[in-house]
Amino acid sequence: MSATGWFTLLPLFILGGASIAVMIAVAIRRSHALAVGLTLIGLALAFASLWVVAPETPRQVTALLIVDSYALFYMGLVIASTFAIVLLSHAYFERHEGNPEELYVLLLVAALGSAVLVASSNFISFFLGLEILSIALYALNAYLHTRRFPLEAGIKYLILAASSAAFLLFGMALIYAELGTMDFARIREMLTASPGASQVILLAGSALIITGFGFKLALVPFHLWTPDIYQGAPAPVAAFVATVSKGAMFALLLRYFYWSGSHHFGAVFLVFTVIAIASMVAGNILAMMQSNVKRVLAYSSIAHMGYVLVAFQAGGRLAVEAVTFYLVAYFITTIGAFGVVTMLSNSEREADEIADYRGLFWRRPVLASVFTAMLLSLAGIPVTAGFVAKFYVIDAGASSAIWLLVFVLIVSSVFGLYYYLRIVVAMYSGLHEEAAAPSSSLLPALSAGGGFVLAVLTILLVWVGVYPATLLQIIHSTVGRAL
Amino acid sequence: MYHLLWLIPALPFAGAFVLIVFGPRMADAAVKIIGPGTIALSAILSILMMGQFLTAPPPDHVYVENLWSWMNVAGFHPHVSLYLDALSMLMTLVVCFVAFLIHWYSTEFMEGDEGYSRFFAYMNLFVASMLILLLGANLLLLFLGWEGVGLCSYLLIGFWYTDPVNGRAARKAFIVTRVGDTAFIIGLFLLFTHLGTLNIQELMRRAVQEWPVGSLLPVAAGFLLLGGAVGKSAQLPLQTWLPDAMAGPTPTSALIHAATMVTAGVYLIARTHVLFTLAPAAMLAVAIVGAATLILAGFSALTQEDIKRILAYSTISQIGYMFLALGVGAWSAAIFHFMSHAFFKALLFLGAGIVINACHHEHSIFRMGGLRKQLPVTFWTFLIAGCALAGLPVITAGFYSKGLIIFDTEASAHGSMTLWVLAVVGVLLTSLYTFRMIFVAFFGDAKTAVGHKPRSAMKIPCIVLAVLSICGGFVETPRFLGDSHFFTGFLHSALPGVVLGTNPAMAELASELWVTLAFVVGLVVAYFLYIRNRSAVEALARPAVSRALHSFWHSDWAMDWLYDCVFVRPVMWFARVDKSDFVDSFYDGVAYLSESFYRGLRTTENGRIRWYAAGIVAGSLIFVAIVLFL
Repeated sequence: MSATGWFTLLPLFILGGASIAVMIAVAIRRSHALAVGLTLIGLALAFASLWVVAPETPRQVTALLIVDSYALFYMGLVIASTFAIVLLSHAYFERHEGNPEELYVLLLVAALGSAVLVASSNFISFFLGLEILSIALYALNAYLHTRRFPLEAGIKYLILAASSAAFLLFGMALIYAELGTMDFARIREMLTASPGASQVILLAGSALIITGFGFKLALVPFHLWTPDIYQGAPAPVAAFVATVSKGAMFALLLRYFYWSGSHHFGAVFLVFTVIAIASMVAGNILAMMQSNVKRVLAYSSIAHMGYVLVAFQAGGRLAVEAVTFYLVAYFITTIGAFGVVTMLSNSEREADEIADYRGLFWRRPVLASVFTAMLLSLAGIPVTAGFVAKFYVIDAGASSAIWLLVFVLIVSSVFGLYYYLRIVVAMYSGLHEEAAAPSSSLLPALSAGGGFVLAVLTILLVWVGVYPATLLQIIHSTVGRAL
Repeated sequence: MYHLLWLIPALPFAGAFVLIVFGPRMADAAVKIIGPGTIALSAILSILMMGQFLTAPPPDHVYVENLWSWMNVAGFHPHVSLYLDALSMLMTLVVCFVAFLIHWYSTEFMEGDEGYSRFFAYMNLFVASMLILLLGANLLLLFLGWEGVGLCSYLLIGFWYTDPVNGRAARKAFIVTRVGDTAFIIGLFLLFTHLGTLNIQELMRRAVQEWPVGSLLPVAAGFLLLGGAVGKSAQLPLQTWLPDAMAGPTPTSALIHAATMVTAGVYLIARTHVLFTLAPAAMLAVAIVGAATLILAGFSALTQEDIKRILAYSTISQIGYMFLALGVGAWSAAIFHFMSHAFFKALLFLGAGIVINACHHEHSIFRMGGLRKQLPVTFWTFLIAGCALAGLPVITAGFYSKGLIIFDTEASAHGSMTLWVLAVVGVLLTSLYTFRMIFVAFFGDAKTAVGHKPRSAMKIPCIVLAVLSICGGFVETPRFLGDSHFFTGFLHSALPGVVLGTNPAMAELASELWVTLAFVVGLVVAYFLYIRNRSAVEALARPAVSRALHSFWHSDWAMDWLYDCVFVRPVMWFARVDKSDFVDSFYDGVAYLSESFYRGLRTTENGRIRWYAAGIVAGSLIFVAIVLFL
């Protein structure tokens, strides 16, 4: 292992180092601002280091990790999103009792786990990354441990994640037992080289690995935990669960199934088709009559992961780019939506009932407009990032002629429009009931950091929606080149 | 210099954006700077660009700026690009300049209005949309501007939305023009499916290559585009929205009538003139629509009392002239009249705004009177504009532009004597209703005390426009009056000259003399009826037949009534009768089904962790079963 090989892991080292630095800082002096400041500096350095290591890529570092432009792109996405979520968390936890400082250690560790995931080329690093991420998330979900819902969310997530990890491990074990390798690329070679391997065991192993992915990505039928966790977790943490954890997992899903060639098994393809359809339909229908905004976002994230699966199913380079584009747009909008929820939540409870949003426009026009933009993007209305993203997914699906999936995507999107617009309508109605609104207490002032995040996200949302060429170009030259 | 082209539409758009976002919290003084300021910058840019266009034109007199391409799918890759040639350059200049004057005027006119910043936000957006319409290199971008203009006209006509009448007028404008827009969209689809591009220049090239003259497709496309143009430009049979559009603030009317919106149809036809030359039937239709509109609207204008409605009908009639010119292939004559019309019609509306304000929001000219002495600047500028509208020979711009159209109507290869006669009759009508308006409102005895007197921000734009209403015509004069062909020469790179017929029935001089005669007759008749001998009007109006004619014309040839009977009422009736048909039950069924699905699925979300874990186990088992047994 040469020195430059380790050098390319610089982003991971910085993330790990930052988490230790924050931990020590907390031990010496408890200060929210200090912890946030150190975290942001660490994230910024990690982000900058991506450019430092970029010329050295692609490079396999040990048997476990590969640092290529694909991994770097997703690391950038993970780090940037964590940056935004840290700013939102600062606004959120400023208003809460208790010690918020350790939260940032956990966020950095979770980001590290996600970064490991996107660079994994081996079952071992896959599982290590997953566990680093998951363990941080257990604690993050239950961070407000004196309250009932966060605690419940934490425990539920712990038990279910652990059980799904068992399935995942068993699946990996089955494949290892049959092929004798844990390396994704080697799996492919072995599949072609040893036709005598037992198809039964390999397929069963793939199905169990899908369980592991399905749990983290909240795909039907492994989705049942999602609304409870989203509702219970503090809003910024929910944003993290919805975006960074899922995005990293999806990046790995692409890498694993394309590299190992398992995607070409007809049966695996069929399973993903079933999952995609079930996720799109169930996610959208379950969200329809929800009265809790965080649960709506949870169900909608199930549906969105179903949409991304459609692009995944299309296969090929176009699919990789469509998936990545969709994930970026989804990150922007989801962090933005949770950002609004964060901004409106006060020290007593989350602003998560639709009733809280009634007439919001007349009280907080800017915040309501931002939320509207985010919801419209989730629904895929033109001029937003969500539209272009969905367009590329449909384009990828249509070019591979997977018509059934494309059809379900389009039909189920209609349901999506319904429940997003329900929230939008609530925000713009009730000018006269404003005085009697029970939620008038839910109006903490907009913090500078949070406002900055929302402004940047809104600009990005429209920019990507109107002028997608830059992002496409970046994706094309990084992600598209690597897989 | 040319690479700054994108700034011309971007600046007003940025202004609109700033005003929409921050306007409500802005001081009026800041709004005054941002609203008209951004337009002023665009106007300055377009003046400089015009200067460069005259001295150092771009290669082939065309400058294309590709900004970015929106998407690229299956051969459909609309570029967001701007196209500057002599035609769009000229129209951009006129639009920016006149719009700036109107904005300036509005800073005083709208003073104290609750929606001060909202007004300027809409106005800026209006101008920005119009500029996108003019500069768009493809029909998609043009359509974006087209719809933006429609939206802004809706917002501005219904600006004082608390009065339901205004809301109704706004909806009417929107719906009626939408009829035309539908035809336009179908036309776009037709062109795209058959020629495979939406880039206007490319479209014209391919049309010439692939379509023989007079074949079905160009005729169909021409008629569909004409449908769109007729809606936006308020021509027969979709002109009914424009008189009601007077519900908006007066500067809005000036903007709609002079610089933006109604001239969009004229621009569309001029821009796609190649297509129309391939479709003689469509061109003839354009000419007939124009001629019929100018006559019908002229009669309607004769009977109105509301000063703004008189002007509205005169706009319809003058746009009729432009359509007539387009229909006979006199493309640059139509644009010439667009320019002079922009100057004098903007001035007329601005003057009318001053008069209405001065008379305590009185609109009827019969309750004004004697304003000549009390509002001298307004009177003189209004008189100049009126003369330009009626076509006072030799000195006014209207005389030159209208004279050129009328001569071409007869002399062009596509023209005819009948159209010429109608056009000359139109001059008589124009002269008659214009001087009726001026004599009644400004001469005679004062009937109301003048209240609000205009200050400089309202007077200076009027004076500037008055100067232009006179000087604007000297850029193109007939052979016996200086023989200047600067204007058509300038446009020649974008619009071909008129194709003259083989044996013209009359010389240019004869045509101009007839026009002059018609003008004088109108003026003299108006003088005798409304200044010398008012009782003659009453005598004329007394018989039943003239009363009937009066109310017929007053209601715009009963078009509103006709549409009400033919479209509105049957549709409403059918909607009432058909309220509970089976179609709803389908959608109700969908809603009911989704709701039951929701209820069914919701039971799976019971919050019990053992159930959730069981879900994961069951899911894995099912998938293992699928991969093993399928």
